[in-house]
Amino acid sequence: MKHILLLEDLPEIRAWMRALVLQVFPAAQVVEASRVHDALELVSAVKFDLALIDLGLPDGSGVDVVTRLRDVQPESQSVVVTIHDDDEHLFPALQAGAFGYILKEQPRELITEQLQRISQGEPPLSPSIARRVMAYFSAKSKPPVAAQVMPHVQLTDRETEVLLRVAKGYTLPEIGVQLGLSRHTIADYVKQIYRKLNVSSRAEAALEAQRMGLFR
Amino acid sequence: MARRPPHCLHRWVLGLLLWAIAAGTLSAQTLRIDSALVSTGSVERFPDTGLRTVTLPDQWRNGSYPGGESVWYRVGLRPVAPLRHDDLLALYIERVCSSFAVFLNGQRVASGGRMSEPLTHNCNYPQLVVLPTALLREDGNTLDIQVVGYPPAQVASRSRGGGLSALEVGPFELLSQRHTRQLALQVGVPQAVSATLVLMGGFMFVMGWINRRESHLAYFGALSCSWAVVESRLWLRDVPLSGAAIEFLLASMVPFVTLAAVQFLLRYARWRHRWIDIALPAQCALMPVTLVLAGTARLSSATAVWYTLLALQALAAVLFYLRAHWKSRRGAFWPTATLLSVITVGVAVEFLAQRMALPHALTTLAQLATPVLFVIVGLRLVQQHGQALQAAEASRISLEARIREATAEIERNFRQLAELRVEQVTDRERKRIAADLHDDLGAKLLTIVHTSDDQRISTLAREALEEMRLSVRGLTGKPVRLADALGDWRAEVVSRLAQAGIEAEWSAPEDLPQTLSARAYVQTTRILREATSNIIKHSGASRCTLRCAIEEGDFQLVIQDNGGGIPMELDGRLDRGHGMASMKHRAKQLQGQCLVESGPGYGTVIRLTLPLDRAVEP
Repeated sequence: MKHILLLEDLPEIRAWMRALVLQVFPAAQVVEASRVHDALELVSAVKFDLALIDLGLPDGSGVDVVTRLRDVQPESQSVVVTIHDDDEHLFPALQAGAFGYILKEQPRELITEQLQRISQGEPPLSPSIARRVMAYFSAKSKPPVAAQVMPHVQLTDRETEVLLRVAKGYTLPEIGVQLGLSRHTIADYVKQIYRKLNVSSRAEAALEAQRMGLFR
Repeated sequence: MARRPPHCLHRWVLGLLLWAIAAGTLSAQTLRIDSALVSTGSVERFPDTGLRTVTLPDQWRNGSYPGGESVWYRVGLRPVAPLRHDDLLALYIERVCSSFAVFLNGQRVASGGRMSEPLTHNCNYPQLVVLPTALLREDGNTLDIQVVGYPPAQVASRSRGGGLSALEVGPFELLSQRHTRQLALQVGVPQAVSATLVLMGGFMFVMGWINRRESHLAYFGALSCSWAVVESRLWLRDVPLSGAAIEFLLASMVPFVTLAAVQFLLRYARWRHRWIDIALPAQCALMPVTLVLAGTARLSSATAVWYTLLALQALAAVLFYLRAHWKSRRGAFWPTATLLSVITVGVAVEFLAQRMALPHALTTLAQLATPVLFVIVGLRLVQQHGQALQAAEASRISLEARIREATAEIERNFRQLAELRVEQVTDRERKRIAADLHDDLGAKLLTIVHTSDDQRISTLAREALEEMRLSVRGLTGKPVRLADALGDWRAEVVSRLAQAGIEAEWSAPEDLPQTLSARAYVQTTRILREATSNIIKHSGASRCTLRCAIEEGDFQLVIQDNGGGIPMELDGRLDRGHGMASMKHRAKQLQGQCLVESGPGYGTVIRLTLPLDRAVEP
């Protein structure tokens, strides 16, 4: 049985989402929250397998919940469910540890499929997100501080290759064909990319905090 | 004089020329007297007691004559050639020091000024005495010269010690020329040079005084003025002071001259030392004290010691300056070095002339050359000062220009900042509007999307939501790189077509450097989205080709499907229901065009052309 957190402030949408989640995971136990504050309390108390998190909430940003969940329940999956499709909003959530994102207004079937894919370990990756990730890891212009300290969070050539092709608009199955790799392998690369983005961002934040501490 | 015939002018000029060519002519026509009977006594007439013979010139030595008494010289005179009635006979005395009187056959014929303290100082004045024809006797004449002066021990310089040079008797005109020339050289020129030195020195002193960074100018001014004061003894005859007092004052001036010279050189070499600033004035005060202690009788030896000391100081300063100048390599070294060396030699000659007999011409030359060189140095300093002023002016002008530039820059920056501020405010406002749209309109539309039972309303709401999002993006977005836009479009179109089971073929050039404004990006996205929707919903196509290209600065997108085409309306125009009108309208807004070609069974070709140049502009 899965424990699923549903963080959404609009009651109608929350109800609709609950129905949708129960359709994908019939045996799941869904815990609802409408505010960041409530969600944070729930995260400390209950162990979740999956969390569907809206970003724009009345008392703050869902990114905080993603971060907390990543800290106290590393094995749980956070998925951002949002109305914002632009990387400006999504990238911070991904850096905080979100494992994929779903756009709310998509047809029910599409969301169902995406949710299934995510829970099977196949997160989506849009061209603009791919570009942001590449820019973040770009060693040429300005490597992230963490990458200098921890070489293992740098992207491999293959991962970069995948990102490059996603940025050009190729779909993941297309890339699999182009590189002669299975759909599963491509999905693994994307998972690695998300993981490294999170690790690197967290390390960078920690280093930044340390640096501030040193100068205080 | 009035009786002189008219042709005398010619003779005068001729005589001058002749003299200039050969001095021998002069000596042939004049009588040079180089020995005399001498006696001493402060009486009105030649004392006949204690006579002895001396050779002329007779430079007095210590103890050779009793102090305070007149010295009488007597020579016999017989005219060398019969005198013509219009010729005057004259006596020329090159040097007589300090005051004198001349008697011919017992009659006083000339006086050099006061014969008692304060004595008239004639030492540097050559004397010409007319011997009245009426007093001359054919058979022989007696010429008595009474001289008063100071023994060498009481004067600081030999040139001011008592004495009488050789005498010359000859035609007045001839000797007068010589007298005039010597007078000009020994008195006139020093006067002129002294005046120049005082004027220039005063000017430079004021200049240096005002401009403390150029203190060497002030010291040079002081040097010039004090030198002029010391040199004034050459031509200043009657001073209401005793000889001893004058000697004392003159000697006291010399350490001041040294101070000015040494400080000038050190400051000019950009070097100063506190101890030197103290020691030199102290020396100026100390020297008069020692002279007073030594007394009038030992003035000469006391000054000798002091002058040597001071000369060494000045020499050391010269060497120091030259060394500093050589090291710094500032300006031309050799002209400065030469000038300084010549001045040093000139001063050295004067220094030596005070102690020993040097050729008269040499001392005169040194006396004249030194101040002239001072004037040259002064002019050079003024020139340098002028150049420095000019440079300062130039740098001031350039500084002003730079300040103007900087001010303009600051103003520009300020303007930019203000613009940026406006931009920031606008940006923030746009973001706020965008957030409001998302939160209110977006949430409501979303609710409709997911709660409406009517599929059509749900789809419309979803489309409205997408539209809203695009609008927001057009409102807030930054310019998008064309390559990135192509990636976004490809991902969307290809996955949508794939979901609808339509095979898609996409071709686009790689690495495009152009950018699209957010508006152009949004509008093109809408057109593309509309076209894709049409293909999925209405065309019945199984295959779709999308080709992007850059041609002549235009962005071209050709979308071709193998579907059933768009049915013609009765009026011969393409079906408006398929959103063609809005696609065309959007293209027009971007100064582009959207052409649709379609025929039943041929599929549809949509050609979108957008001018990149204008689309690039925000």
